[in-house]
Amino acid sequence: MNAPQGKFLDESPDAGRWLDDHGDYLFKYAVFRLRDNTAAEDAVQETFLAALKAYKEFQGRASERTWLVGILKHKIVDHFRRAMREAPLGEGSDEGPEHREFFERPEPWQGHWNNNYAPNEWHATPAELIERSDFWKVYNDCLSPLPQRTASAFTLREVDGLKSEEICEILSIKVNNLWVMLHRARLHLRNCLELNWFRREQ
Amino acid sequence: MAVKLYDKLKHSIRYWLLRRLPTCQQTVEKISESMERSLSLQERINLKLHLWICSWCQWYMEHLHIIRETTRAKADQPPDFIAGAGLSDETRERIRRRLTNQN
Repeated sequence: MNAPQGKFLDESPDAGRWLDDHGDYLFKYAVFRLRDNTAAEDAVQETFLAALKAYKEFQGRASERTWLVGILKHKIVDHFRRAMREAPLGEGSDEGPEHREFFERPEPWQGHWNNNYAPNEWHATPAELIERSDFWKVYNDCLSPLPQRTASAFTLREVDGLKSEEICEILSIKVNNLWVMLHRARLHLRNCLELNWFRREQ
Repeated sequence: MAVKLYDKLKHSIRYWLLRRLPTCQQTVEKISESMERSLSLQERINLKLHLWICSWCQWYMEHLHIIRETTRAKADQPPDFIAGAGLSDETRERIRRRLTNQN
């Protein structure tokens, strides 16, 4: 008599079908974080290769996609770690644009918003923005000029919601660096979105 | 008359505060940090007072939270950055060959 479990273990994984069913999704998932098509393609390939090896442990415990995404997450973090080890954060290295021009220089209003850059009301809710693919195009273009490490810090924090300590470990930075990077990324992105999306939409 | 006087007083208080509180440039940095750690009591008071008199920084804070919320909502539904986002046919075939060799 065949035990049902034994039968399941004998089945060989159908990697070709994985590629058809999940390839595009995994690729988009990786591009959103890595912001680099080649690196994202590599991460997807490595994910499938690792999945083939680990198939026996999988045994349908989670949904196939959840399982594959779990592997991909590790591959993405590996990529960040590798890239940052190759380019350590040196003295006076670039954490992103300071955008001093956003603020007044001369007294009496030194350090207060310059009229040309002061935030304005955004007439949009997150629920609306999530559906607008043209918004995400602008969003992506706005993140592009940031230094790689700063963009990666922002992604790990805001997309995946990782904790400070985890991000610092992955990117080999101190927590003060991280805060400066996040601040500069937000300052830059907010202004860029306002100029290129919110003012044009009205 | 009383309304006018009240407005004038409010304006004076705001102006007085604005000259004494951390500037907008310092405040936006604190707003970002408030999303990363809990601020000290002094920092919280300064931030609250600054936001009370400065609608620009109020909007700034609101926008950072909109950005956070929209970004996080996309974590599991990654956007199409490039037209027809997905693996190119060429890459798909390359990965397929690689996987077949492995099997």
